[in-house]
Amino acid sequence: MRELVLTRHNDLIDPLVRVWGWEIPVYLFLGGWVAGMMILVGYFLLRGRNREDTCVCSVLPGTSFVLLSLGMGALFLDLEHKLYVWRLYTTFEVTSPMSWGAWILLLVYPALAAAFALRPPGILRDLFPAVDRLSRRLDTPVGVRGIAAANLVLGIALGIYTGILLSALGARPFWNSAILGPLFLVSGLSSAAAFGHMVARHQEERELLARSDNVFLAIELFVVALFLVGLLSSSQAHVAAARLVLGGPFTAPFWVLVVGAGIVIPLMIQLLAVTHRIAHTPVGPLLVMAGGLALRFVIVAVGQVSHWAKV
Amino acid sequence: MVSNTHVSRAPAPYSNPYLAGIGLGLVLLAAFVFVGRGLGASGGVSAVVASGLHAVAPEHAHRLEWLSGRLAGDASPLKEWLVFEGMGVVLGALLSGLLARRAMVVVEKGPRVSRRARLLMAFFGGSLMAVGAAFAGGCTSGQALTGGALLNLGSWAFMLMVFAGAYAVATFVKWQWR
Amino acid sequence: MMAPFLKYGVFGSETSLVVAFLLGIGFGFALERAGFGSARKLVSQFYLDDLAVFKVMFTAIVTAMLGVTYLSWIGFLNLSLVYLVPTNLLPQIVGGLVLGAGFVIGGYCPGTALAATATGRVDALTYGAGLYVGTLLFAEAYPLVKGLHTATPMGQTTIPQYFNLPYGLVVFAVVLMALGGFAGAGWVEKKMATQRTIEPTAS
Repeated sequence: MRELVLTRHNDLIDPLVRVWGWEIPVYLFLGGWVAGMMILVGYFLLRGRNREDTCVCSVLPGTSFVLLSLGMGALFLDLEHKLYVWRLYTTFEVTSPMSWGAWILLLVYPALAAAFALRPPGILRDLFPAVDRLSRRLDTPVGVRGIAAANLVLGIALGIYTGILLSALGARPFWNSAILGPLFLVSGLSSAAAFGHMVARHQEERELLARSDNVFLAIELFVVALFLVGLLSSSQAHVAAARLVLGGPFTAPFWVLVVGAGIVIPLMIQLLAVTHRIAHTPVGPLLVMAGGLALRFVIVAVGQVSHWAKV
Repeated sequence: MVSNTHVSRAPAPYSNPYLAGIGLGLVLLAAFVFVGRGLGASGGVSAVVASGLHAVAPEHAHRLEWLSGRLAGDASPLKEWLVFEGMGVVLGALLSGLLARRAMVVVEKGPRVSRRARLLMAFFGGSLMAVGAAFAGGCTSGQALTGGALLNLGSWAFMLMVFAGAYAVATFVKWQWR
Repeated sequence: MMAPFLKYGVFGSETSLVVAFLLGIGFGFALERAGFGSARKLVSQFYLDDLAVFKVMFTAIVTAMLGVTYLSWIGFLNLSLVYLVPTNLLPQIVGGLVLGAGFVIGGYCPGTALAATATGRVDALTYGAGLYVGTLLFAEAYPLVKGLHTATPMGQTTIPQYFNLPYGLVVFAVVLMALGGFAGAGWVEKKMATQRTIEPTAS
């Protein structure tokens, strides 16, 4: 990807941007999902759940580590000047979300590693005594609380950053909304809670994650509505951008894949599950995660088509 | 509300066929009123085949006369009414099946047939059905149900033939079901 | 006249895909309620011990037909704008016979296979694979079968138009036929001494 200037009047962005393929949506989805899982890990650690053998907070950090690396791999594939990545770390630009993101990601890895080290798999402990020693050293009340706080704060920062990355591009009216950050954050939280709901072994945790996922999905619906209302009550270019999903060419993917199959249907299924009318199945969580991915794809695609020219 | 903490295991019995039929008829009527067309399924399969073939061998796909119409416009062949309807069918059936505890991984078959034979027969029947639907320009949903309600001449002829064909073959595949 | 809403511009074709999704949910829900997510239930029609396929299908046809007739009679629905698949009698007869055979061999039809796959029926999955292969074969072999596929074109025509009968009379006849059929179906089910209604598979 060549550089896009953040302001208008650049032949790459007017009238249409068509430079982002599958890599960016996949990265945004995985980043948001990991952000959600970090927040959940932080919460469970603060509640002292890591004392339990079956705590889902011992599964999530390792999973996050792998997923985030996959996401970074996708991001890396998208870069045109792959060899210059290190230069992001020679500077810090307060006004650049790319710079913020690069530094946040640099801090996220150690926070995840520390959470992972609190409860490493037994085989690692046996093979590497150093892991065992590290684990013992971290596992103090202060250590756990510190790791929890780091994961909470960095999770929120990472989740919001994935949205800011787009909304800072003022050149795309569809992305030009402050609500994109909270939208991606709550969507990441819902994917994370759905995943936790699916893999949790502890009955109480599963119920808690399913219930909180339902809350996140409900909030997400509300935020989607706010996002559209916000665009509709803004300038003509923003209204035209919103129309792309309100009767325009992206209406069907947005309402069917993102809202219908990705939020409303799994919310119904999980509401039935938490009220014990049906059994817990992986169907709801899988739909939630697919919906999260679809959200990133649709938002990235619509944003690239929305424009200021000719309004 | 009385909360029942234990999900009972037995699947619920099916609905009364006449009630289910009225429900189905009302959905069909809504399709006529909202979009001016009926329900269907096999057209969605053709759209998926067209788009899959287009992804693998685009030139070849355009040369196939029967599919090329679906590839004519700018939009993806998957942006098709029946594809979106099909997604809804999957989720609607899933909701109903979960609610009635009928959703489970299982092979539907009679007692005398092996799973493998049943799965192969299903595959064979499916490919036969696709050819039949292609000739007739629709399947039991698009032709029999939709055309039946509109008193479409061809659909009624088709529907009678479906029953005739099925009854004629039923004896020969009874081992699969009974 | 206000309906069909899409044809009168109440919403656009893009939005109609969202409507398609919602209608599909209703369709799938109704199919599964009726038991059509189970191949054993479906094929029982052809062994005459559970005639749910006939009952559900004709109830649905009669319901929708009466609805369409009423709504166009009060001037709400413009029936001429509701799409009618053109009649090609010969390929439809051949196609119907082949499809009927495939129904009892495969156990599903395309719509019910979707519902059955959604509720975990593995045989519906291989049936679906067969559908794709069959469709591809037909597309590849189309030059050979095009003659039959396009034979006897009669255009968009309905039974009342073709036989020059009043629409209402045909509607009335279909209703009578269905009611007779329902009574007959009950009689046949009783006659088949087993009288088994196919119940859902228990795990």
